[in-house]
Amino acid sequence: MSRSWRDALAYYPLLPIGALIALVWANTASDSYFRLAQALAFPVNDIGVAFGIASLAQDVVEALGPGHALRWRTVRLPIVIAIGGILGTAVAYATYLHFTDEQILGDGWRIACGVDVFVCVALARLVFRRRAAITTVILFAVTSDAIALILVSRRPFATSADAVALSLIVLAVVVSALLRRFGARSMWGYLAFAGPIAWLGCYWSGLQPALALLPLVPFFPHAPRPLDDLGSDLHEHARLSHFESVFAYPLQAVAFLFGLTNAGVLLRGIDTGTWAVLTASLIGRPAGILLSAALFRDHLFRWKELFVIALIGSVGLAFALFLSTSVFPEGPLLTQTKLGAIATLAGSGIAIAAARALRVGRFA
Amino acid sequence: MTRRLLGHLLVLAGIALALMPPVSAGESAAPLPNRLASLKFAAIGDNGTGEQPQYDVAYQMDQWHQRFSFDMVIMLGDNLYGSQQPSDFVRKFERPYKPLLDAGVKFYASLGNHDNRSNDAYPLFNMNGDRYYTYVKKDVRFLVLDTNALDPPQLAWVERILQAASERWKIAYFHHPLYSNGGRHGSEVELRVLLEPLFVKYGVNVVYSGHDHIYERLTPQRGITYFVAGASGELRRGDLRRSPTTAAGFDQDRSFMLNEVAGDDLFFQVISRTGSTVDNGVIHRKGTS
Repeated sequence: MSRSWRDALAYYPLLPIGALIALVWANTASDSYFRLAQALAFPVNDIGVAFGIASLAQDVVEALGPGHALRWRTVRLPIVIAIGGILGTAVAYATYLHFTDEQILGDGWRIACGVDVFVCVALARLVFRRRAAITTVILFAVTSDAIALILVSRRPFATSADAVALSLIVLAVVVSALLRRFGARSMWGYLAFAGPIAWLGCYWSGLQPALALLPLVPFFPHAPRPLDDLGSDLHEHARLSHFESVFAYPLQAVAFLFGLTNAGVLLRGIDTGTWAVLTASLIGRPAGILLSAALFRDHLFRWKELFVIALIGSVGLAFALFLSTSVFPEGPLLTQTKLGAIATLAGSGIAIAAARALRVGRFA
Repeated sequence: MTRRLLGHLLVLAGIALALMPPVSAGESAAPLPNRLASLKFAAIGDNGTGEQPQYDVAYQMDQWHQRFSFDMVIMLGDNLYGSQQPSDFVRKFERPYKPLLDAGVKFYASLGNHDNRSNDAYPLFNMNGDRYYTYVKKDVRFLVLDTNALDPPQLAWVERILQAASERWKIAYFHHPLYSNGGRHGSEVELRVLLEPLFVKYGVNVVYSGHDHIYERLTPQRGITYFVAGASGELRRGDLRRSPTTAAGFDQDRSFMLNEVAGDDLFFQVISRTGSTVDNGVIHRKGTS
């Protein structure tokens, strides 16, 4: 079995199964599906996903932390193309909406900024042999998602922020820093004491609660590993890192429930929002990536390699689905944009076809 | 001779009756009783095109207003399509409905997916800057929702308002239909699972929506009558996919609704762009016939 398939099976097996069940259920017995999905939305999206995001952040912190310092040259291109990609996404989304008259979808551009890290990593490993290309894709995806998280962190339909709620987040960070200062080696101390405080701070302040563990992750116990190891060698690494060890299987359940809760959309809901997200992701982001790379004039990759990287980066899928629940509340706008997020999976087929046609990486 | 004269008089009386407007005060056989103390209102949806069919419907509304003096119009969203500059408010709203506006008829709008969010500040929509709001007319509590963004604060507000409402009738209206057999959009089930339990629990009687560019009356669902009236400007001809839940429908031309709440009855009549009645009936407050 190739490594990409192994990684996909390690991290992703239950999400597409949950998503498929949700799609079939929503389109055959919609009332019962939506009742269940709405009951699950809070525990899955606001609590379960917090552990998923923390796990991803832990991977990144371990890769970027002491012992694996990346060279600036490796980091600067992904950062530039991530910014370029987001600008391209925003421009394409706004341009598409300009030619319709549904300005009510205006906030949806942030959904299209999401990049599915694990699909992109799997695709990069499928296409490229060079570690540099895989590292670039990972850094690009993580940077894009970090920016996207900042863009959606405040939910427009949430209650108003107040200083007390925000100070809870600061308190949680202080508690984590103290735990680390006093050499706490177990993950549970951080999760039990600092985690709930940070979560309540996010929830009451109107920030996305799924981000609650993010400011605490740098304090978690971790061990260095190479960045292109992201999402792989789970069991070998588990001995070193408590978080993955404890949450490997619960996160599979979260992934399944995430797919089940969020991917169930009525297919007849395809509408302006769907096409806007799709246009922004499949056209705007690759265009922004290529344009920013051209302005940056980095010669790390040939143009056809960059073209394939740009297409790989067009897949928003699970992360775009997650962002959509932060941007729009229940209703037709959410349905439309969710359909767009799911449809960005088409970008993976386009990327592989382009790699074959241009003889890039393993297809050379 | 007398018998012939009587016969002629009867024929003339028959002709006169046939030529009379279908609604006039005191005629219980007419679709709308047009009682003095009743609440009369019209309903339009997906109207704001600024094109001739919208003007035709508006003309019919004015003609009917002269016979059936409704005080207000509920707007079911997509009140303006396309550009929404100040001149568009004139072309797509103020000009077509000028006779009604001049007659003092008030319009109470809900927002559709084609409406700019800022339209809630337009004075003639009477939304007072709120994307969802409530008001009472006679013994009717109206609940106007923004189904573009049915967020938790709005849902909590709906429950709070309905819980406190003591009026005899509770009517909700918004853009996206909870039940519809329109082929283009259909029922918005995600919204339905959130709103229907509240409507049932607190006794909402009637719900009006637009979005699908047809007219449809649905068979009562869990005791509530649902109307889709989204063809007052736009039209998707032939889009009604009749099902067992379709009580009546019309998808061949534009239309608008006239409604009258009198005691425990809500009378309704649906008029096409050419002025013909395409549906009518009465909803009793507890149950429908």
